[in-house]
Amino acid sequence: MFKTEELQINIGPQHPSTHGVFRMLVTVDGETIIDLKPVFGYLHRNHEQIAEQNTYLQNMPYTDRLDYFNSMANNQAYAMAVEKLAGIEVPERAEYIRVLMVELTRILNHAGALGFLINDMGMWQTQLAFGMREREKILDLFEMASGARMMCNYFRFGGVVRDLPPEFMPKLKELLVAMPAFVDELERLLRENEILMQRAEGIGVLPRELALAYSVTGPVLRGSGVPYDIRKAEPYSVYDRFDFDIPVGSVGDVYDRFLVRIEEMRQSKRIIEQIVEQLPDARGGHINPKARQNVRPPVGDAYARIESPKGELGFYLVSDGSPRPYRYKVRAPSFINLTPLGDMCRGYKVADVVVILGSIDIVMGEVDR
Amino acid sequence: MTVKIERGQIVTVERGQRAARRIPGLGLLDGMAVVWKHWAGSFRKNQGFNDIHGVFTFEYPEERPKLPEAYRNMPILLYDEETGHELCTSCFQCERICPPQVIHMTQARDPATGKPVPAVAEFVIEYDACMSCGFCAEVCPFDAIKMDHEFELSTAEHRGLTVFKEQLNRPISYYERIAPTMWAEVREGAMKKLQGNIKRRPDVIGMAPNLAEKIAARRRELEAATAAPEAPAAAPAEGRKLTPEEKAAKLAAIKAANAAKKGGSTVEPAAPPTEAAPADEKAARLAAIRAKNAARQAGEAIAAAPAPEAAPADEKAARLAAIRAKNAAKKGAEGAPAPEAAAEHPPAAGTAAPAGEAATVAGAAPADEKAARLAAIRAKNAAKKAAEGHDAEGS
Amino acid sequence: MPRLSPEELRERMARDLPGTVLEPTPLRVTPPPAHGPQPAPFVTTDTVVAAEQLVQAALYLRDTLGYAFLSDIAVVDYLADGVFELVYRFYTIEGGDGLVLKVRVPREAPEAPSLTPYWPGANLHEREAFDLFGIIFTDHPFLRRIYMWDEFEGWPMRKDFPKQGDKYIGADE
Repeated sequence: MFKTEELQINIGPQHPSTHGVFRMLVTVDGETIIDLKPVFGYLHRNHEQIAEQNTYLQNMPYTDRLDYFNSMANNQAYAMAVEKLAGIEVPERAEYIRVLMVELTRILNHAGALGFLINDMGMWQTQLAFGMREREKILDLFEMASGARMMCNYFRFGGVVRDLPPEFMPKLKELLVAMPAFVDELERLLRENEILMQRAEGIGVLPRELALAYSVTGPVLRGSGVPYDIRKAEPYSVYDRFDFDIPVGSVGDVYDRFLVRIEEMRQSKRIIEQIVEQLPDARGGHINPKARQNVRPPVGDAYARIESPKGELGFYLVSDGSPRPYRYKVRAPSFINLTPLGDMCRGYKVADVVVILGSIDIVMGEVDR
Repeated sequence: MTVKIERGQIVTVERGQRAARRIPGLGLLDGMAVVWKHWAGSFRKNQGFNDIHGVFTFEYPEERPKLPEAYRNMPILLYDEETGHELCTSCFQCERICPPQVIHMTQARDPATGKPVPAVAEFVIEYDACMSCGFCAEVCPFDAIKMDHEFELSTAEHRGLTVFKEQLNRPISYYERIAPTMWAEVREGAMKKLQGNIKRRPDVIGMAPNLAEKIAARRRELEAATAAPEAPAAAPAEGRKLTPEEKAAKLAAIKAANAAKKGGSTVEPAAPPTEAAPADEKAARLAAIRAKNAARQAGEAIAAAPAPEAAPADEKAARLAAIRAKNAAKKGAEGAPAPEAAAEHPPAAGTAAPAGEAATVAGAAPADEKAARLAAIRAKNAAKKAAEGHDAEGS
Repeated sequence: MPRLSPEELRERMARDLPGTVLEPTPLRVTPPPAHGPQPAPFVTTDTVVAAEQLVQAALYLRDTLGYAFLSDIAVVDYLADGVFELVYRFYTIEGGDGLVLKVRVPREAPEAPSLTPYWPGANLHEREAFDLFGIIFTDHPFLRRIYMWDEFEGWPMRKDFPKQGDKYIGADE
């Protein structure tokens, strides 16, 4: 028998599969992972400290840069936290527009995330290109409404910055026509693909109990079989008016997370269809006319959370009565979802690490803040 | 497996290959069919949002997609080509809201008096640190700062990304072209505010520096106005110069009216009308009547003026002035019954009278309006003086 | 399991775990101004527990009340009051509003028991709190800096951390 030795290697910080500058300190025995420690901080810019120097409104564009894939979702969580703190009402129409934007965000995030996951598996660019194509269309819609593709900065306290332009709805309806074909095709492309199943089935298993103890959220938690979706568990905004399902996995491996994301795109499409139906009857304008943008909330604290495409995104704000937040804390889903990475990778091969990391779907802007 | 919950259900996703097709390699081939379909589609152009096949890409830079109106990249400053004036008044709203603090400006000052003027002297935006959030365009009360659609800003010179006013200035027509409906929404208000601001800008302050001809023309105009103080030429120039004074006078009138009211209410019950009071009252009344007459005469002169389009508006203005004068005088009269105020009255009435005469004498219609206003202001001033005298006595 | 309001939680904890719940003292948040109107102090409606009994209280929430999901740990530096407040947020997977446990530790000796042995998900939260605020979590298995580099001195999110002019950033920047 050959004598084998444990070896410590770094995956990252400059590595194509680490989704940004992120390092994994891996201890391997041959090809098998014995231990994995994530190392963060390469993109750390002390977002929270910056936010405490800014006024409440000035933080809105900074939240875009947290999870730069889902700026609309970040905007909503932050706007909700400030509205809770300052007691600002949001008109019905604005709530519908917000939910519409966040659900579009969910579709584009999952389209991109699945593309990157497959990319990490070695199916270079094919799936990613299909996903990016759908994402581009949604970004076109965002650009129409907000003026920017990624850093939307669309939400304001009490609503959204401007109403949907007249050309928005026809385009959205066109998009909805193509959406089922896209999701079906995406599923057909890979769902039963033997190679993908070899790489994904039984890999990176996160059992239900462990998932709960690790406080993971979003598709990772649901992939482990916990039907916990804040949109259903604690309905915010107008989510209690829509019919939609919560897809859950049964094993908790990479494959389950993959399937849950595909199904979530269908459910988001269902929600958007209901919004298109209900939006013309919604009362109020796109913003509460009484809402002041330079808010000065009373002394107190507030926590608001939403189901962002990556999981529970929460903002904890403490006000001291001044126009700047005294404390501004982001509960970032990508960051917390990385906690179990070591446990998920232990016992698998080095090649599986990148797949498992891809299945968690992280954005380093949010992890490091 | 599904579990019913409120407004939906919990669906456990189906794993693995479907039972009917457990032939090894079929899933792979099925996926390949999708890829081939896309390959076949790549020979034609995509048909739009409802088409998921075909070529999606643009042949940039030859082919450029139309950017939506709301698109925002970097902030620019607007100026009005007709008057040559910049819309910015350096109110510092954008500087204050800018999250990365990249906007810097200094306010223009009148070289003669050193007082701040509603115009911007220098305006700097650090494009390299700008985060294109669009807050500056949102908060600008004068619609002077807008978001540009130009995105090809790459440069080999980093210093070139600190952008000064000359590079930031764009004509309104440029913005109107890139964002027609967004400009149409704000156009009226913006132009109105601009007209108001131009009146408060002396010399060529606030004019876009690249419009050399406009500036030269304005200079010539100003020189002509100062060199030849003839009645017809001087009238508009004088009128322009009067605007801040007019404002001050109005403010004074309001204050006077308030003071008079206050004085009247406090003193009258305390001191019943003395013998001196009727005389005072009389003087004040006289002033009021004179002011009224002057205003009326001015109004008649305008009504008879040859300019048919301007006439109704002018008449209205003159009438308004007359009413104001009347009211001011009345208020002055109400607050008058203090003995010391009497001394003030004859000159006050005296000033009102020549003003009225001046209004009747002036021939040109626009000058008439101004003259009428002037009369009203003078009457107000007279009333104010009366009130002041009264106030001093009362307190 | 029924969902509890903060008041009910305080009642139940006072009954089942005597001595754990502290009376929330009002916080001044900012130093009071020398003149002018005094701002109202911040009185929290959430449950404030003693630092020593935190683990006990958290396990009570998890095992007895079913609030098993530890969502967030936030630290707030109340400089004027001389305390760090740790805000623990628990949810049930059945849904609904969460419960909050707040722990106050003195600024001079910021020590709190770690929840990582019971909730492995608290690991990164606590490391972040250590890194940015310098809270020492006893029994934490790997309490190391997470965002800042290991040699970094100081706790950057504390309110008294210099905003400029420290040894890393020059005074002119």
